[in-house]
Amino acid sequence: MLVTWRYRERKSLIQSLDPRAWMIFYACFMASSLLFWDLRFLSVLLAIALMAIFTSRLTWRETYRAWLLIGSFVLFFTFLTFLTGRGGMEFYTREHLIARLLAPFTILRWRPTLDVTVERIFYALSQLARVFSLASMTILIPYSLNPAHYGITFRGLGLPDKIAYAMDLTMRFIPTFGRDFQLTLDAQRARGYEIEKIQGGLIAQVRKLAPLIVPVTIYAIIGSEDIIDAMDLRAFGVGPRTWLQQLHYRRRDYVLIAFGVALLATSVTLSLFGYGKFWVPEWALAWGASLR
Amino acid sequence: MNRRLLSMIVALVAVLVFFLLVVWIGGLINPNLKLDQTGLLRFAFVGLGLLIVFVVYLITRGSGAWDVGTRQVVYMAIGAALYAVLSYLFNGTVFLVPSVSQVALRPAIAIPMFFGYAFGPTVGLFTGAVGNMFGDALTGFGLSPQWSVGNGLIGMVAGMAALFADKKKGLNVVLIISVALAAIATVIYALNPGQSNLLYYNPPANVFGDQNISLFAGLSAVVGLVLAVIVRFVFGKNVDIAAAVTWSMLGNFIGIGFAAISDIWVNGYTPAVAIVGEFLPAAGPNLIFAAILVPILVVAYAAVQRRAGR
Repeated sequence: MLVTWRYRERKSLIQSLDPRAWMIFYACFMASSLLFWDLRFLSVLLAIALMAIFTSRLTWRETYRAWLLIGSFVLFFTFLTFLTGRGGMEFYTREHLIARLLAPFTILRWRPTLDVTVERIFYALSQLARVFSLASMTILIPYSLNPAHYGITFRGLGLPDKIAYAMDLTMRFIPTFGRDFQLTLDAQRARGYEIEKIQGGLIAQVRKLAPLIVPVTIYAIIGSEDIIDAMDLRAFGVGPRTWLQQLHYRRRDYVLIAFGVALLATSVTLSLFGYGKFWVPEWALAWGASLR
Repeated sequence: MNRRLLSMIVALVAVLVFFLLVVWIGGLINPNLKLDQTGLLRFAFVGLGLLIVFVVYLITRGSGAWDVGTRQVVYMAIGAALYAVLSYLFNGTVFLVPSVSQVALRPAIAIPMFFGYAFGPTVGLFTGAVGNMFGDALTGFGLSPQWSVGNGLIGMVAGMAALFADKKKGLNVVLIISVALAAIATVIYALNPGQSNLLYYNPPANVFGDQNISLFAGLSAVVGLVLAVIVRFVFGKNVDIAAAVTWSMLGNFIGIGFAAISDIWVNGYTPAVAIVGEFLPAAGPNLIFAAILVPILVVAYAAVQRRAGR
């Protein structure tokens, strides 16, 4: 039995737009955010994402789990980056130290040290802005896109029939497999399998993951036989595919697409001219320098 | 088909015109303009990856391994959804599985390898690429296009096994290529043993977490290769498993290698950093997963096939 994304019909800005237009905009948004490291540009994108969220009429109760899961991962990763200084090394060669926190202990003669620098703070902020704007736009999609429209949206974007249908099926299967995985985990736990307590060398650990992964995979493949038969019985793939729903562009959709393309074009141009690189404001550098 | 080809050509020409305009107008405003393409390199590499796929497709089209029927559509979708869900679950937030020596457990990689081997290159490509995309989207960390293409290549090359009617013939060739690649990677590691594991090295002080890439991670490519060779000869009688493991191995090298090498330009790493800091920690452990999980999946699937009579 399928588990579905929690989509509900709402009178919101997103849902009044053609899903194809929204996906095009999403793609342009994503591509633009990949081009920038500058906090100023990223804040513009973040503002757009926040506007989309606040006009989407999603209630906190409906979506809090998604926000918590993704939010915790984003915060964890940004914090880790902040702590280790990883990843920012190609952007700055000199750091302005604000504080250096030394741990009161040593591990094998190495003292854990945390350097709090201006660059790292801004790098973490930039990363947070970028990841959060991407994550929020992504969270919006399963809640605001009608699952009945998945297939025709991808077809409308120009993908061939079968690939569009494969994307449709993929999106529908994800919640179901999440549920199956949880079932398998519980069933194995009832048989004494504990995933948090896997011990042994790397090879032993990998072997012990098999009781979790193999049943889910094989169960999915077995279940697919029914789906394949159902599709064949309905003459899938014999001719060009038609859908029950039809999507029509309205003027607001053209406006959205134009806006998305303009956003991407502007971002590409700015990036080509060298703008949008990692940036630390002068006042922060001065403040950092004054603290030492 | 003609109309679609025409509209694609028109779109490409429009993009080209756009770039030319940017260069021209920019040159008018600032005569000393030098264009900075780093931001766009990601997409250039995605294009390169897709071009590789297309070329391989053109060459091997005749064998029928690339055909997409109802079965392939469903398997594609299942593979991508499974890969997405499993990558999300094992990304470190849901389970805290203890990781050994900088090698994080990512068993999900066995899915594109297995699906590519069992169902063909198209299924493998879709599983790897789209599954990686959705997995990244679920995790919330943002999509990395060239890694999606790299994962797609893993699945596609694993599916190349379907091209050889006689499995044993393909196996030895694959093994030789993989040995050569592993040797190159390990030699580069041996020349740069002090290379840090992608960390910024701050000379005046010890930065938290700055560790040189551990010996285990560095040699994991060789460990994985040895394991795959052992599996191949232990299961010599069962050609299916041997073929699955060796093709998955090759796919792993090519896919991860593509993504890691692309980072040389996209992120500005030096080749040594890309190979030792990204390729080895990712490709090596993947080999271990391939050598252990893929045979189990192949055996289980064979049992299913026997039962279903297909």
